[in-house]
Amino acid sequence: MKAIIHILEHDFRNFFRYKWWLVGLISMNLADLFIMAIVYNRMLNPDVTNTIGGYFQFFAPGLTVTGLFASAFMIGREINMERRREVHHYMLSLPMTRFELAMGRVLSGGLRGMLYMSPLLATCLILLPNVPTIEQFLLILAVLFLLATGISGLSIAIAVSTSSLEKFITARGLVYYTLFFCSSVFYPLYLIQSLASSGFPTVLITLAEINPLSNASDMIRSFLLGYPSFSPTMVFNVVVFSVIFTLSAAFAYMKIIERK
Amino acid sequence: MEANKLLFVVERDVRLFFQYKFLIIMRAIWFVSQIALFGIIASRLVAVPDYFPYYVSGLSVMSLYSAAIFIGFDIYEEAEHGVFEYLLSLPVSRRQLVLGRSIGGGLRAFIYVGPLIAVSLYVIGAVNPLNFLLALFSLFLFAFGVSGFSITVAVMIKSSDRFDILMGVLDALIVRLSTAMYPLAYVTQANPLYGWIANFNPVTFASDLFRWGTGIEAIITLNNPLLPLLGVMLFFGVFMFLGTMIYDRRIEGGGWQ
Repeated sequence: MKAIIHILEHDFRNFFRYKWWLVGLISMNLADLFIMAIVYNRMLNPDVTNTIGGYFQFFAPGLTVTGLFASAFMIGREINMERRREVHHYMLSLPMTRFELAMGRVLSGGLRGMLYMSPLLATCLILLPNVPTIEQFLLILAVLFLLATGISGLSIAIAVSTSSLEKFITARGLVYYTLFFCSSVFYPLYLIQSLASSGFPTVLITLAEINPLSNASDMIRSFLLGYPSFSPTMVFNVVVFSVIFTLSAAFAYMKIIERK
Repeated sequence: MEANKLLFVVERDVRLFFQYKFLIIMRAIWFVSQIALFGIIASRLVAVPDYFPYYVSGLSVMSLYSAAIFIGFDIYEEAEHGVFEYLLSLPVSRRQLVLGRSIGGGLRAFIYVGPLIAVSLYVIGAVNPLNFLLALFSLFLFAFGVSGFSITVAVMIKSSDRFDILMGVLDALIVRLSTAMYPLAYVTQANPLYGWIANFNPVTFASDLFRWGTGIEAIITLNNPLLPLLGVMLFFGVFMFLGTMIYDRRIEGGGWQ
């Protein structure tokens, strides 16, 4: 456990080195919320308004998940850079087991995501109409932590499997666009499902339904907005995603960085 | 002969851009996923008639903007890797070098966005050839202006990290406070200050002119295309001049270090 805490400390120190980057990222997130969401609020289809209320309120939880994703994914960029600059030899020489090293990296990615996301979640708590119970609030935190760990794992798995920064950025872009646009982060899930009758690929609709970003955003909405109604499947989908990617990232990190 | 030297500089920048294969692939994926996913679903989300072609045309201008910005990153790469000294040793005048870079930055963005514009036109449909040529011309000027803007900021800020952050924030603000994603009437309704800023935003000028050129001006209430055209020309003139002047001053005596 002590070894994992050392890794967490190392990664958190690195995280705060990017303070200007974090300020920039927060500004972009706030621009999305206080400009784009406010304008879309005015343009909303009356049928959609009846279902979700305002777009600003609908989008705020989605933005929290967007911020969590971007910051938890940063660990992958650092690991990819360490690999290219061969800093991973130093990491492998540290007096700890490979598993402790790998789990420390995955956990720190997730915790950094939680730290970055907290002001965005606080904004949701202030601006959205419903106040969650203690149990609901703890469930939100637990699900977001699992999601952040899964995203951190996904980014580490990509980082150790790609040999250059360009390839990493391309893979990140592909994952980012697929996961975000095929999710209920920007629009309600029922709108995506309604496209089935227009010949929209079923695989993309299924992806949107099981997407952990959809499930986490909708769970926050269900407690803070009252829409959609809460379902245990939301938690289950995030848990499955987190378990798969945490374990595969730990395994990939241990195996791939030992090569050569 | 003098024009030839300028063309060499332009050619070099265009070639350099197409070495970023992964970046180009990523931007293309972004463009396609924006059309095929966000555009289709968002058009059901909003009550704006013909929102899908509206959004697709705005997306072309957003892509042009982000591709033209990239010249600033090249300037940092060159400073870090000592390529500046090589560029200064070339048998071209400082002015040709600087002007060539601005033109190259805009031109390569335009070449890159060309196929994406073709996709947009396919999605949007009918085109009035004369209007479209005028709109293309204004997009050319817009791309050169953005390229000059990127060069201006790049040579004024000496840290590539800060440049990266600043351009990200500016991108978020400039694109969102424009009519690239939504009609001006809604921006003004949302907040009169947003509407006021969007009125003078070069991305608004370029987006409105492109829509006018592609024949979907019905939902942009563009009464007089001359005004946005003048706006784009002014933007181009100011930043080509500023970028050229500041870059010209900074490159002497290791001013980029």
